[in-house]
Order: sequence, then structure tokens, then C-alpha cells
Amino acid sequence: MARNPLKDRLAVIGVGSTPYGRDLRRSELSLGLEAAVHAIEDAGIDRQEIDGICGSGMTPLAMGGAGFLSLQGALGIERTTWVKNGWLGSAFVYAAEAVFSGLCDTVLVVQTYLRDINMSRSAASDPFRLRAAQFSDVGGDVGMGDFARRWLHSGEPYAGWIRRYMKDYATDKKAFALMAVNNRSHGARNPDAVMKTPITLDDYDNSRMIWDPMQMLDMDVPVDCGEAVIITTAERARDLDVKPVYIHAMSLGGSRVGEFYENTLGWTENAFWIALGGLWDRSDLKIGDLDIFFPYDGYSVDAVAVTEAAGFCKPGEAGDCFTDSWDRKNQILRLNGRTLVTTHGGGLAMGRAGGANFYAEAVRQLRGNEGHRQVPGAKTALIGIGSFFHDPAAVMLRVD
Amino acid sequence: MSAHEPLSDHDVFALFPNVMIDRDNIAHYRALAAGHLAINRCGDCGYWVYPHRPMCPECLSWNVTPTEVSGQGRVFMFTLIHQLRDPHSNIMEPVVVAAIELVEQAGLRYLSRIVNCPLEEITLDMPVSLTWIPEGAPRSPAFEPASAQGLEARG
Repeated sequence: MARNPLKDRLAVIGVGSTPYGRDLRRSELSLGLEAAVHAIEDAGIDRQEIDGICGSGMTPLAMGGAGFLSLQGALGIERTTWVKNGWLGSAFVYAAEAVFSGLCDTVLVVQTYLRDINMSRSAASDPFRLRAAQFSDVGGDVGMGDFARRWLHSGEPYAGWIRRYMKDYATDKKAFALMAVNNRSHGARNPDAVMKTPITLDDYDNSRMIWDPMQMLDMDVPVDCGEAVIITTAERARDLDVKPVYIHAMSLGGSRVGEFYENTLGWTENAFWIALGGLWDRSDLKIGDLDIFFPYDGYSVDAVAVTEAAGFCKPGEAGDCFTDSWDRKNQILRLNGRTLVTTHGGGLAMGRAGGANFYAEAVRQLRGNEGHRQVPGAKTALIGIGSFFHDPAAVMLRVD
Repeated sequence: MSAHEPLSDHDVFALFPNVMIDRDNIAHYRALAAGHLAINRCGDCGYWVYPHRPMCPECLSWNVTPTEVSGQGRVFMFTLIHQLRDPHSNIMEPVVVAAIELVEQAGLRYLSRIVNCPLEEITLDMPVSLTWIPEGAPRSPAFEPASAQGLEARG
């Protein structure tokens, strides 16, 4: 076992989300502010209690969107003793560790996403999106101008991995297809999801080829949205009216692959395996204890990798595992016969939020007030978010 | 300037106006301009260091030198791009993007195109050889089926 001094000593006390839509006609900051205000109201705290902010962005001083400087100013928060920008799964972990270290007591994490101009033709004809892209600080364009550097921070190697996975493990696309169907089935029950209809395996097979062998239904749905969570100490959380959702264990993960993704390590050496391994080394809860599992689905291949890295099956066996775990009536997965997967629909159905909506859904389910969508008796949730190559995070949440 | 004289830094920057050239990778682009595919190699332990970094990650030696590779390799992974990032660009046929594992070292891969091969005949682990295509400044590296080169040589 690894050290885990933060076990159950931090809690999520607030979650806030904006509506999700393909064209909300809102700025990133506007989305971030709405999510933040919802989260503050949800926690039932005075906003001046917030003394740490993790804003949105891949670079420390990301500007033009919902970075920490803009957020603090726009929210009128007088004093912070910790700030940072972050994204994907790691933003949540950075914020939690800031509370645990004592650099702040109550931290607000805001993550915003816009449907980018490189994601659709209609987005690329929107002057607001064009201008935002012109001044955005994504930090991912250094590979431009040389074909050999095309996979610097690129999604294309994930498509390459689908083919490599199928050959190395002598399997087909079943695992990816069933994950896509699962997420769309859950999305169809989620009134906030942008994709409101379930899909069949035939729909999956027939979906447009984007980066062969990756198809349209393997990819998350670009939307405009904002998500916020508030984390504080377990001690403070117990004084509030909301039910504390405890952070039981967390891990990040990094490998030596570097920034040229064609140098990808083996399937079981990617960063998800390191993050999930780090999580299990720190968690008292075991895989059989999980009520809900949230494998990030920026691409379906991410979700398959996180599921295998978490240990639900052996590497390469997700297709068989998902087939055995399939609830035909509801067209969803029940891993080990019980653990539900991505109950809000994830990026493939609810919309692309870099995994931020996985945290929000986990917290809401564990609080137990999700009405007709409530997973009965849900007490534990494991979230695995990130990339094969960077920013993976594994987080175990639980309630008493 | 004689044909054999190495290009000046200024000339390399001018030839690759859109590439993020720095002091750690300029030798690679200087070699490309001269029609050579050169990868940094550790002079102490022999490890190939890619991408272009100034220090060997195996033995922490700074004695790394751009060294021409044989150009032989295999297709480690590839994708066929049916839709480009720029939604306005229409492509007539899919663009092949392939990670070629070079024979010099396990895991040493160079991202490139595959040419002289019908798309449906590209397979994982297929042996390929370096060739050059008339694109970029003045030519760009690409790979073709190793058998195609063999046939040409025999012909």
C-alpha cells in the first residue's frame, strides 16, 4: 500500500452545471460563472468562503476563457491563497490537494467547454467562435508545420490504437461499440444530455468514418457547457446542510512516453494504468465495492482502456467482459453483474466536458437525490479521466 | 555556397517557416533539407533519442548527435483521416498517418506518410522503407512497402 493521508478527509460540497447545447450563444466565462454560482448555491456557503480557484485551461495563465484570474474578478471573490488552471481529470485532483495541503480551505473548480471551430462546419462559420479560437490559449499547436509532429497533442493516435488493440488481442470493435451504446442508453434517460436518443449496434457500425477505424459514434459530442465543483475539508463539510461526498483516494499518472504520441508505450503501460494502479494502492475500497464506474469517454477507446486499467477484466478482454455484462433489457453495462457505468451518458451522450460532468454526476448520485435516474443505494463511485499520454486522474468518491 | 556546405541556421529557418525550430531540433531539419533522416543518438550508450532532446534519457549523457537512420522499419500504427481538423477542407481520399517503428530500436517511431501502396493494402507490422516525396522544402520523408523498393531495385 502507498501512503494515503488524505483518505476521507476532503469532501465535495457543491456541484453546479449549465445547460448543455450545441450553440448556447454564450462565452466560456459566462458558462463558467453560471456553473460556479450554481455550485456555490448548492453548497450553501457564502462565496467569500472560497479561497482557492482552479480555472479552465491547459496553461498556467490561460486567458480569454474561464481562467482563474477572470473567474475571481467576475465572481467578486476578495481573497484567494491558491489558484491554478487545469483540465481533464487532473484539475479536480490539483484542487483537492491544495485543500489538503492547507494552502486553501474551500476550493472552486470551474471547467468550461465550447464547441470548437475545428469540430464542425457550422461552428467554423460562427464569428464569435472564430474570434475566440484566434485568441485562445490551448497550448497544443506546436506540432503544426511538420507532418512528423502531427501527433503532438493529437487525437489521431487513439484511432491508431483501436486498430493496434484489435490486432494484438485478436478482437473486434465490440468493446468500443457496447461502451458507446451504454453511454447513449444512459444519455437517453438524462434530460440534460444533448443526445437524447439511444443507439443500436447497427447505428454504431454505420456511423461516419472519421479517423479510420475510429467512427463518429466513438467520439464525444462537441457542446457548449460549464461545470463547477467545490471541495473543502471533511470537518467543514459536516457543518453544512449538504451530504458530504468524501474523497477516499486519488492518483494522477505519468509515463515516460513524452510528447510525441507515436512513441506510445504498450497498451497496458499507458498513463491510465499508472493512475488506476496508484488509486488501488491507496484505496481501502476494492473493485467489487463499486456501485458506479465512470471511465472517461473522450473517445470510446479511452473508456475501454480505463475499464481494463481499473481491473474489470484482463487487457484485451473488454469485448467479452462487456458482452457478459450486458443488460439486454436496458441496453447498458452491469460490470461484475452490478456496477453501472457512466450513468449520465458521458461525453458520448451528455456532451464533451473533458470529464467534468463525470465528477458532477458521481456527486449527485452519491447524494442520492437523482429521482428516476437514481442508482439505488449508491455509496461508491470510481472516476477515471484523462489521456493515454497526459493528465490522467483516478478518484474514488464515497458517502457514509 | 557549395552543395556540400551545411545550411546556415538562417537558411533552415527560412526553409521551414511554420515549424517550431529550436536549438535542440535544428540539426534534424538541416538534415531533412539535405535529404537525410537523422535522429539524435547517444554517443555513450548508443540509445536513439527521439523526439529531439539534448540529453539521453537512458544514461543522462549530453553526448547526443544527430545520426542518419537506415530508413527501414515497420508500420506500428496508422489511421486514415477521412475528415481533417479544418472542417472546410475537403479531401478526395483519406490521408494516411502512420507511426513507423524504425529497425534501429524498439519503440523508436517516426510519424510519416505511406506512399506507393493502395490504402486497403496497408497493414500493421508491414515492412516499409524510407523514400522522399516532392512536398515541403524541398522534399519530405515518406515510407513505402519494403517490397516495392525491392521490386524497383530488381527491375
